[in-house]
Amino acid sequence: MKKTKYKFFIISSIVIVAVIIACGKKFLDKPPLGTLNPDILATEKGVQGLLIGAYSMVDGEGAAGDGFASGASNWIFGGVTSDDAYKGSDPTDVAEAAPMEQWVSLTPTNSALPQKWIACYAGAQRSNDVLRTLAIATGISTDLATDITAQARFLRAFYHFELKKIFNKIIYADETVDATNINVTNSADTWPRIEEDLSFAVANLPDSWPGEPGRANVWAAKALLAKVYMFQKKYSTAYPILQDIIANGKTAGGTKYALMPHQYSNFNPAQKNSAESVFAAQTSVQDGSSVDWGGDPNGNYGDILNFPYTGGPGACCGFYNPSQDLANAYKTDAAGLPLLDTWYTGLNVSAQASIPAAGAPYTGTLDPRIDLTMGRPGIPYLDWGLHPGEAWIRNPVNDGVLSPKKNVYAASQKDAYTDVGSAYWGPTELVANNVNIIRFADVILWAAECAAEANDLPKAMEYVNMIRSRAADPTGWVYKNSDYSAPTATYNTQTTPAGNYKIGLYTSFPSQEYAIKAIRFERRLELAMEGQRFFDLVRWGIAAPTINAYIAREKVLRPLKANANFTAGKNEYMPIPQGEIDNMNSDGTIRLEQNPGY
Amino acid sequence: MKRQLNLVQTGRPPLQKILCLFLLFFIIHSISAQTTVTGKVSGTTQAQPIVGASVLVKGTKIGTTTNAEGMFTIGVPSGRKTLVISSVGYESMEVDITNSSNVSVQLKETTGGLTEVVVTGYTAQRKKDITGSVSVVNVADMKQTPVGTGEEALQGRASGVTVISSAQPGGASDIRIRGITSFAGNNAPLVIVDGVRSNLHDINANDIESVQVLKDAAAAIYGVAGSNGVIIITTKKGRSGRAKVSYDAYVGTTTRGKGYDMANTQEEANAIWLQQKNSGIAIPSHLQFGTGANPVIPDFITPAGVVGAGPDPATYDINTNQITRANKIGTDWYKEITRNALVQSHNLSVSSGSDKSSYFFSVNYLNQEGILKYQYLKRYSIRANTQFVIKDKIRVGENAYIFYKQNPRFGNQSEGSPFTTAYREDAIIPVYDIMGNFAGTKSLGLGNARNPFADIYRTKDNRNHNWNISGNLYAEVDFLRHFTARTSFGGIMDNNYSFNFNYVGYENAEGNTGSNSFGENAGYNNSWTFTNTLTYSNAFGQHNVRILVGTEAVKSNGRFVGATRSNYFSEDPNFWVIEAGTGTQANSGNAYQSALWSQMGKLEYGYAGKYLVNASLRRDGFSGFAEDQRWGYFPGVSAAWRISEEAFLKSVSFITDLKLRYSWAKLGSTGAVLSDNPYDLYSSRLGKSAYDLQGNSTGPLVGFYKSHIGNESTTWEEDIITNAGFDVVLFNNKLDVTLDWYKKKVSGLLFEQGGIATAPPIRGDAGLPLVNIGDIQNTGIDFNATYHGIIAKDFKIDITGIFTSYKNKIVDLPGLAYRDGDVVRNNRLQRHVEGRAFGEFFGYRVIGIFQDDADIAKSPTQQGDEEPGLFKYQDMNNDGKIDADDRTFIGNPNPDFTYGLNIAASYKNFDFSAFFFGSVGNDIFNNTLYFTDFPDFFKGGIRREAAINSWTPTNTNTKIPKLRTTGGFSTDNSGYANSYFISKGSYLRNKQMQIGYTLPSKLLSQYGIDRSRVYIQAANLFTITKYEGLDPELPTQPDSNGNIFRTHQFGIDQGSYPHTPSFLVGLNINF
Repeated sequence: MKKTKYKFFIISSIVIVAVIIACGKKFLDKPPLGTLNPDILATEKGVQGLLIGAYSMVDGEGAAGDGFASGASNWIFGGVTSDDAYKGSDPTDVAEAAPMEQWVSLTPTNSALPQKWIACYAGAQRSNDVLRTLAIATGISTDLATDITAQARFLRAFYHFELKKIFNKIIYADETVDATNINVTNSADTWPRIEEDLSFAVANLPDSWPGEPGRANVWAAKALLAKVYMFQKKYSTAYPILQDIIANGKTAGGTKYALMPHQYSNFNPAQKNSAESVFAAQTSVQDGSSVDWGGDPNGNYGDILNFPYTGGPGACCGFYNPSQDLANAYKTDAAGLPLLDTWYTGLNVSAQASIPAAGAPYTGTLDPRIDLTMGRPGIPYLDWGLHPGEAWIRNPVNDGVLSPKKNVYAASQKDAYTDVGSAYWGPTELVANNVNIIRFADVILWAAECAAEANDLPKAMEYVNMIRSRAADPTGWVYKNSDYSAPTATYNTQTTPAGNYKIGLYTSFPSQEYAIKAIRFERRLELAMEGQRFFDLVRWGIAAPTINAYIAREKVLRPLKANANFTAGKNEYMPIPQGEIDNMNSDGTIRLEQNPGY
Repeated sequence: MKRQLNLVQTGRPPLQKILCLFLLFFIIHSISAQTTVTGKVSGTTQAQPIVGASVLVKGTKIGTTTNAEGMFTIGVPSGRKTLVISSVGYESMEVDITNSSNVSVQLKETTGGLTEVVVTGYTAQRKKDITGSVSVVNVADMKQTPVGTGEEALQGRASGVTVISSAQPGGASDIRIRGITSFAGNNAPLVIVDGVRSNLHDINANDIESVQVLKDAAAAIYGVAGSNGVIIITTKKGRSGRAKVSYDAYVGTTTRGKGYDMANTQEEANAIWLQQKNSGIAIPSHLQFGTGANPVIPDFITPAGVVGAGPDPATYDINTNQITRANKIGTDWYKEITRNALVQSHNLSVSSGSDKSSYFFSVNYLNQEGILKYQYLKRYSIRANTQFVIKDKIRVGENAYIFYKQNPRFGNQSEGSPFTTAYREDAIIPVYDIMGNFAGTKSLGLGNARNPFADIYRTKDNRNHNWNISGNLYAEVDFLRHFTARTSFGGIMDNNYSFNFNYVGYENAEGNTGSNSFGENAGYNNSWTFTNTLTYSNAFGQHNVRILVGTEAVKSNGRFVGATRSNYFSEDPNFWVIEAGTGTQANSGNAYQSALWSQMGKLEYGYAGKYLVNASLRRDGFSGFAEDQRWGYFPGVSAAWRISEEAFLKSVSFITDLKLRYSWAKLGSTGAVLSDNPYDLYSSRLGKSAYDLQGNSTGPLVGFYKSHIGNESTTWEEDIITNAGFDVVLFNNKLDVTLDWYKKKVSGLLFEQGGIATAPPIRGDAGLPLVNIGDIQNTGIDFNATYHGIIAKDFKIDITGIFTSYKNKIVDLPGLAYRDGDVVRNNRLQRHVEGRAFGEFFGYRVIGIFQDDADIAKSPTQQGDEEPGLFKYQDMNNDGKIDADDRTFIGNPNPDFTYGLNIAASYKNFDFSAFFFGSVGNDIFNNTLYFTDFPDFFKGGIRREAAINSWTPTNTNTKIPKLRTTGGFSTDNSGYANSYFISKGSYLRNKQMQIGYTLPSKLLSQYGIDRSRVYIQAANLFTITKYEGLDPELPTQPDSNGNIFRTHQFGIDQGSYPHTPSFLVGLNINF
């Protein structure tokens, strides 16, 4: 009995131990749920999906670490930095944007900087993921592979260009750069790499993408390449490309490029991807993304703060107020031409009653585009009624009385083009309003610059007048006592213009210097509040004098600007984020050098 | 586990058959001659029968317990001559039954509890045989604190355990054993309830029999889960004797507390004027208070700033023309959102047992209303524990606990939570407008806070339901005299369901134009633990040996699904179903799984009851690590010397018992590692990888993005813990003291991967894995002492003191000069560097306020922001300018020590107890001041002190800087913390105090009542602190589910649910 007992015990022990060991390995095999491993994506559909993922960063949102500062409109890096706009809201609300108008407080630890840095490199690496996965994918035709490659390289160039114009000294991250290859620096010139990618895109992208206007076509690639040349002052290289685009270019949707009859159509969600849209960040709403916390809504999240405060569309958050100086720039003379040298003298347009220093309001003539660009007290704000002035301003002392207008929407478009629901704190500031990255007016004005640089002044004037002719068309103006028609971005009853508008065409450019001044001023007027101004000032080499003169004029009105000062040779570019420098150089090898002066 | 069964069935005799054969053998073996012994067990006097004392035939597993009269009957096999009789609170005793079949036994009270049996991880030991550092909680004391969660109950009750509780009923508490051991996520200890991995949160404290906390090598048997310490809870079993019924109840009220001291309307208006004048605005102006030399308090705030008769109420429109009267005195928002809250608990338990079976059954109803209106914890629970003894050798049983709870909670410690908006919402705003709709910041110029009362009122019809079943089934078999095999299978099934309606806050400055929406969510979390152990125990000669081997499998998985829809035609709660909405629909969901597979062994050896050695080894495999990093070995050894048993100490009469202990162990922690950690992964997510290529505005194409970078070399955090200590019992059990010194060195800390490979140019935006870098160390002393005194006849007093300290030090952060904490609003508050503690506050040190231009002239420059009335910072590097290099460590949220003090006294039928908890030496970062003292930051409420006592040229003796319209480097906006916000955080709190009266038993026995006690109690009656915020006890910010998640953000006040006094009456009745 006793023997049997032990035998059973021993045998069963062995069995149990054997089973235990066999069982462990399988039992611990618990792969993550709800995700895909790289091999599953190595198909046509997978690679196309990765390409969509790469496109999805064009709006600047969708990567961990993104934010208001990474939005496609560059309202902080290209707008608040310039003489176009104030940060808005209370000074310490989104405090990281205040140094972009004060400059003296801009340091490499500013938390707006990494937002853009991260979002752009996320886009670049997503583009690289397309190329890497394409390389191992099967069942994709050569033609299709070329189409995909060309789009991925276009996007990669776009993301690097965004970085380049903001940070200047950047790393070019191509598909060979990953955790196994960290041998990169920001000391090399990255312009040739950007040009190389865009040249490939120009050579390989199709003429159009029927049904998919959001993709980049060959003309978008040419326009971006031309822009890259403009930033390098390679006017003679850019000019023929621009002429080609003006003569032959068409949208990804297949429509020949043209200026829309009404300028505001470019900011109307009902008219997006129009004949004037060369390349734009696509946005969408009511797609479920606004409740996807941790992700980022696909509505125009970058500009979600840039609405009048408490009233009108959105009701939040009172940021990105147009500056007094920008309003003054729309003054016109008896011929309806801008006051190229004296716009800031005399009375202030829509002078702010509560600030004695603002003086009495200007009553002279104005370029009608002022009321397409900004909300002014007493002027219809689309169909939201008359702009009430300070009631829509969060901090009138620092923010003035003007509101942004180019990213908003009409009351009649609420729900159709805005997010709905209350799960997100600002659902009605999530708008399916595309963010223009390059629009045809931009292309024409570059061509004007190139013509002027080539001293072909009549041609330069012709280009500028193309833009002004459209602005002079009274059907596109703002009218009082009239209903706003959102489908066409026009006012129904065109009897009483909302302002004392007068705009005329140039009749001559007496000198190259005058031409260049006029073109630059026209760019300011036409492209105001579109995140372009600061980059233009820098590429023209006039950022420091322009901005310091502007600060000197504005500081009497705005306490936030009291200590502001722009340092030439330093503030033209943002500092490289300190955390990125610390990280990239942490093993002692210098991969990232700080920009001069920081 | 399925594979296991298949294998057995095909290749070997079926497991069941083997089991049956074993059973058969034991049954045969156990049927042998026996005699019956009866007896009575009593305390120091014959009149005190001891109920439920354990009676064991020495050298066997045969045992029974005494009944209500202290009587027992036991069958003793032939050849057995000794009974071992023991009971909690008494010294165990051996009784010779050679010559008697009826014995009368008097046990001696051992207040030191050396023979108390303590569960120490898969085995149980007498307290005097324990070699490791184990805190044994006095459960009776613990239960006296009227709280809703197990974590709170544990506060101050076990040395080495630091608990920071949330005052929100049902809110999560921070619990740490011996300091902070992890950066990334989890510092929470492992909690074992009746042998199953479980949690403390919703346990019914009345069901608890014992609580032990394993803090050193004692926890090593839990291997990779042991690093944060282990809390072992055993729930009650039925005891022999007739059925016993207990009813315990209390009811009372939690008072709303004093709230904030905010400026009233006039004071605030004056402050706004001062603010503008200070900023050089000669004629201040405000949309509500007008323009002029002095502010004018309006009669109406919508329309803005109307003085006199307001607009015609007929023109009222809730969306476009709200009409709101000004609250000219000022609204006390704290008062509006709080109430004196009802708390009650009713607990009924029935238990009984015989030597063949026992049961314990309890039902509990807990309803803790929060002081925040519409916030409560309602929990209904049932426990049923049973055990059956089959043929003396086999014990089978189960422990089952089922609860259902409703526990709506609000965000806490964040700038949108009710206790935050209560100081952010302006005083001039009334709760309602003229039509009885909510009023708010849509009235111009008053900031952007949300109406705090409206926010909570709108949640009143939301519901959440949580059903949870936990427990286990077990079987134990004694065989071959010295062996016991045990199998236990148990776990938790947790189901959540909730729905909530989001109203449009039409009255607020922001988000007033959206549409309503409704969301509905469901999820489950399951986990099971399957444990099989084989124990050999034997005593021969002077040797006492126990060997345990075992295996354990743990599996966890869960899923979550949620749906939302917008645009509901009606806000009527009866209309709230997903289908009824007409707007956007969205859904979400996720799933997870993990597994742990372990083998373990343990040896307990004692020689002559004075030389004691324990050793254990566990091998763990965790699914979240790559295959070759999965397995780890976790050894632990401990030794103790009961020096008082040595001859040379026997003569020292005042030492009753003295034991020296030393231990060493290696433990682990898997931190927050999830199953995705080793893999490169791609995901698809609307917000991240969808793009509207077709330009149709609502239907983006959905793509993919690289969501995670894997790391195959990640493994557990390794914790080497050494402990030295002693237990001493003095003066004939009057005083017992335990003191431990420990060092906990955690290496391979799990951090989110850092370094070059994580830079955006290299990795894009893919999520990062946790990797092992960095070392952290805690050293400290745990101490507890209990004094049992008899002051006079019938007057007894017990005093217990608990002392817990840890000194945390970051030893190594490879490749990183520092690691910063998160930005809280605009400023970064914390920095981690080698050589300093985790969580320390970092920033500029304020050394005063610039008093005049001369003061500024002789001081270092402060980035152009120098004016009289602004902060003067310390120039740390003496370079004449204040810049980023002058930031320094300005505070430490880690306490020097925490302590608990329990006093219990009884005089005749009266009893009194009081429990105090305190924290000493911790600093608090009072982030609420950012909103209340700096009106330039966000408009809204102003602290009264800031409104009336800020710096002005004539009010210079103040710490509050001058108010101005634009903040800057020298006040609130340097991008980093400054020491203005730092406050001493030490406090002493009376957690509970009660007086009880036990009714004379003569009076009650005629009604069949054994015992009845009534008491009155106060909880959180007073707090002594220099901290000026609402409450110095600050849990970390919880996530949306109320779980603690930001490990390092502790000691920061972002508007926290305060602990306020409660007053209760209670009743205990035993039948």
